[in-house]
Amino acid sequence: MSVLALREITKTFPGVVANERVSMSLDAGEIVALLGENGAGKSTLMNVAYGLLAADSGEVLVDGEPVRIRSPRDAIAVGIGMVHQHFMLVQPFTVTENIVLGQEPGRFGVIDFAEARKRVREISERNGLEVDPDARIADLSVGMQQRVEILKALYRGARILILDEPTAVLTPQEVRELFEVLRALVDSGLAIVLITHKLDEVMLAADRVIVMRDGRVVGETTPSVTDERGLARLMVGRDVVLRVERGSPHPGDVLLEVDDLVVDDERGLQAVRGVGLKVRGGEIVGIAGVDGNGQRELVEAIVGLRRPKSGRISLKGREITHAPVRETIAAGVSHVPEDRQRRGLVLQFDLAENLILGDHARPPVATFGVVHRKVVEDIAERRIRDYDVRTPSWRVLAGNLSGGNQQKLVLARELGRDPELLVAAQPTRGLDVGAIEFVHRRILAERDEGKAVLMVSMELDEVMALSDRILVMYRGEFVAEFAAGEADAERIGLFMTGGTTREAEAAVAGGGAG
Amino acid sequence: MLSEVINPELFASAIRMATPLALAAIGGTICERSGVVNIALEGIMLIGAFFGVVVALAAGSTHISWLVAASPWLGILAAVVASVLMAGLHAFASITLRMDQVVSGTAINLLALGLTGFLMVTLYGHPGTTDPIPVAINAVFNFPTPAGGLLATAWSWIDQIVFSYTPIVYAAMIAAVVGQWALFHTRWGLHLRALGEHPRAADTVGIRVLRGRYVAVLISGVLGGLAGANLSIEQVGSFNENMTAGRGFIALAANIFGRWTPIGSYLASLLFGFADALQIKLQAFQSVVQIPVQFFLMLPYVLTVVVLAGVMGRAVAPAEVGKPYEKE
Amino acid sequence: MSETREVVVRESGWLKVLRLVGVPFISVLLAMAVGSVIIAVTGGDPVAAFAALLQGAFGGPVQIGETILRTTPLIFTGLAVAFGFRANLFNIGAEGQLAMGALAAAWFGLLLAGLPTGLAIPLVMLGGALFGAAWAFVPALLKARVGAHEVITTMMFSWIALYLVSWIVTGPLSDKSGIPETPMLSSSVWLVTFDKFIAGIPPVRAHLGFIIALAAAAVVWWVLSRTTLGYSVRAVGFNPQAAENGGISIAWTTIWALCISGALAGLAGASEVLGVQHRLFDQVSTSSGFGFTGIAVALLAKNNPTGVVFAALLFGALAAGSGNMQLEANISPQIINIIQGLIIFFVAADSIVTWFIKRRQRLALESKVVADAE
Repeated sequence: MSVLALREITKTFPGVVANERVSMSLDAGEIVALLGENGAGKSTLMNVAYGLLAADSGEVLVDGEPVRIRSPRDAIAVGIGMVHQHFMLVQPFTVTENIVLGQEPGRFGVIDFAEARKRVREISERNGLEVDPDARIADLSVGMQQRVEILKALYRGARILILDEPTAVLTPQEVRELFEVLRALVDSGLAIVLITHKLDEVMLAADRVIVMRDGRVVGETTPSVTDERGLARLMVGRDVVLRVERGSPHPGDVLLEVDDLVVDDERGLQAVRGVGLKVRGGEIVGIAGVDGNGQRELVEAIVGLRRPKSGRISLKGREITHAPVRETIAAGVSHVPEDRQRRGLVLQFDLAENLILGDHARPPVATFGVVHRKVVEDIAERRIRDYDVRTPSWRVLAGNLSGGNQQKLVLARELGRDPELLVAAQPTRGLDVGAIEFVHRRILAERDEGKAVLMVSMELDEVMALSDRILVMYRGEFVAEFAAGEADAERIGLFMTGGTTREAEAAVAGGGAG
Repeated sequence: MLSEVINPELFASAIRMATPLALAAIGGTICERSGVVNIALEGIMLIGAFFGVVVALAAGSTHISWLVAASPWLGILAAVVASVLMAGLHAFASITLRMDQVVSGTAINLLALGLTGFLMVTLYGHPGTTDPIPVAINAVFNFPTPAGGLLATAWSWIDQIVFSYTPIVYAAMIAAVVGQWALFHTRWGLHLRALGEHPRAADTVGIRVLRGRYVAVLISGVLGGLAGANLSIEQVGSFNENMTAGRGFIALAANIFGRWTPIGSYLASLLFGFADALQIKLQAFQSVVQIPVQFFLMLPYVLTVVVLAGVMGRAVAPAEVGKPYEKE
Repeated sequence: MSETREVVVRESGWLKVLRLVGVPFISVLLAMAVGSVIIAVTGGDPVAAFAALLQGAFGGPVQIGETILRTTPLIFTGLAVAFGFRANLFNIGAEGQLAMGALAAAWFGLLLAGLPTGLAIPLVMLGGALFGAAWAFVPALLKARVGAHEVITTMMFSWIALYLVSWIVTGPLSDKSGIPETPMLSSSVWLVTFDKFIAGIPPVRAHLGFIIALAAAAVVWWVLSRTTLGYSVRAVGFNPQAAENGGISIAWTTIWALCISGALAGLAGASEVLGVQHRLFDQVSTSSGFGFTGIAVALLAKNNPTGVVFAALLFGALAAGSGNMQLEANISPQIINIIQGLIIFFVAADSIVTWFIKRRQRLALESKVVADAE
């Protein structure tokens, strides 16, 4: 009998059917991958199961019995736990406080912290998930935080564990470690749902795959009888190019030069520790690394959002070390920020207003502080056309566009400015296959036009697919450099977690089993 | 002159002046820890101060002796009830309707100002100040003063600084200590702090976000009511229009200065209370020091700005403060 | 597949009009209704009260003049608060900046009385704007540099300004009559009343300040929609991080926005001194409340300069009519403050009022966000 079964779940939002009569089941002792593109309805389905969303119709069965799950509280009560993509951890709290939150041991409302700590230690030892119960979440690595999330679910007696895109922020090694933990958990009787859009992970970790597209289940299979190409076809509905074609690079002069750069983060701690790099025209340099190893601070220093402590940045030989954004833009730096909704766009502005952000203070858009409407409209129409932003007109607010179109809008602005250097951070995060392809083609086109491109991505696949050179960043330093083609994920992954050259070679020599 | 300024009465006065600020600041702390900004404290206090006096006057003017005797206590009760209602309005607007919390607070402040002014004229026929309440609230302790000598001097210091206060002054001290303990040692406190830092995380482990925030705002209503009652019933003995005079805002600064902790809020309020007590003392000497009285009156406001300027950037507010919570 | 999810939400024309005009209108009606209940509960006759109020506000040229008189400072303070709001700054201390503008007007008015009117008045008004801006500058700087919340600092500066004025009128600029006020300004720096240049109307108190206020509204509209500064202000107000990424300095924009806001409030004070009082009074005891009403005006106008003019007119009429209401219906003019507070509530809580209209639209947007988040 299935430990969890969803029957004919339908969930609509006005104008969108997120789930249409979706059914699936889950047995104890198995890992089921829920595979689908962004927007296929995977998260919606699992949010229904966890009580965060209410389904329009359909039912949820636990151990064969229909249950009403109206809130996470109900879900926890029947043994469902969920590890969200964005962690549900209170940053200033300790590991213990986070794990016991909502179910604290104690009497008369007074928390027994000693008992709480003891229970956390017990549960972490029992499941081989080691953590420091007194550490603050804010001081933990992302992988560690994920471990706390899993412990949180286990503390609540979860028998069914849902993980939403758990590998998005992990290194290859951490991913493998996670999968080992998950395997041990199902061996001890748990049932696990793995929400993902990554084909290789499905092949590696899942016992069974359920593929969703456009809010429907379009297929179910097991990794043993299919391959990545087959899964991709099922997921997207057509044959897909898994990797964009890339011609050989023609590097020109050095455009961006960074020397011995030191940058602090918000807390005043050194985030970038004396790095140097060169990017030539006609070349894409990719920076690989786990989130939080100084990439953000490096990018912000180059584009002028953050003042470096020391060191030097120059563009075409001109120093821009302490230039604010206004000046780096004028010098020819364009920036596709990692969070398009927060940094990239003003969602309450219309498309035209968004398309002149950065050009708004200088001719031809503005002279003597006065903005010329006609020029703005012309620029907007041209850029919308050139970058295929799907919209009825530029009068639409940016917040009303889909994620893919929003990213096109950012590209239209940043590339439409005809920069010397493009700094792109996580340029395809959260996009579907079609949009990813578009973004990748555009970035390659910039390179082929002789522009310098510096790209930061947590997606190792992306870095490897696009870069002519790859730098691995770890704790604020570049720990390795690879030319395109000579790098493999295994070795890069080791460097990303602080491994040395020797370890990397040993790992590869040992068949990459780690 | 120095001994006329610095004497036990100055410190006692500082603690008295600090009391309404401290109560409001602790209320502000509890609200902000739960994620709700409470700019409405000014109006909440004002409403409490007003209705406290209205009820104390009404009960005190009857001819039923026990009612007369109980009139100031009934006034305090009325102050708390009125303030809780006002806080409830802020809670409804900012939590349920997800209105901008600062705007909601401003609306409540204007409403309180208008309502007290309007009712003042309607009830008593004139603006400005009400009649004094007939029965005052005495100090909790009343120890006999021993006869002369050094011991007597020492005793008079202790008596004035420790034992000379009306009940709400002690209530504020208790609120600070109990609040501090509750915030960091109880389930309620842990849940409350989670609401202000990451309400969705709290929601996903089954903590009721909106209810928790309501409770926090209503508690600030109780404290704001006590603050208002302290101001009108215990300190002044009557109600003056707009008698809170920006104390709700100073209290918020005290809360920030106190790093969002009840005891910190109390201590920060003590600083402002001391400034207030000092400026009142110094006013008596303005002919000697040749400084216009207005500059003394400015002192608490200037101090607030200076303190805020000094402490900001180093104090970290709860991450989600001011943001309405919306389920997906 | 993504094309099927491409929901581009656009408001149809009437919806937009309804949202812009309907919500404020309904809010005002709701506030009046609650005000009526309060009047009725306290033993008054709401119908008589509002009739008297209307009569007092629009009953004739003199009454209309009075309404315009009360509207004038509210346009300035409404613009002041609205400009701040556009940069996501809440200038709750317009009251103090107004007092400083009034102080400047009284001071410069005395100093420059010898100059020709055409030169003196612009200079004095400019002085008022500068003093207002200066009074907003320190809170602006503290906001930009250390993040001290402007709601607390501008409020504190308001109190400081009121005591400063109180000292000025009893000390340095006192006319030594025993009343806390400055000497009367020479009529050469007065803003003339409408009856002086419109033939055939009885003497009214409405003055040229109204025209200046309308011009200020036009200028604010132009700055917000047609200049780099206005663009920066709006960008920072909506999304400071994106603005910063586009090369806009958050700190400078904050300082500019709050100082311009203060300047507009300062103009209100100068216009009151030059147009109405012709001298400066103690403000602690008789605080005008224009600064706070300005908040209500800005919110009712949804921070739109044109809307500010109409919202100010509404509150001006309420203020002008309240005197007559007290006279004829014996209702305290304080009811106006209650109605103000209520209007802010209903406008800001537009989720109640627009709930039905926006429901579909809002859900569509939310679903898109959810879909994107997957």
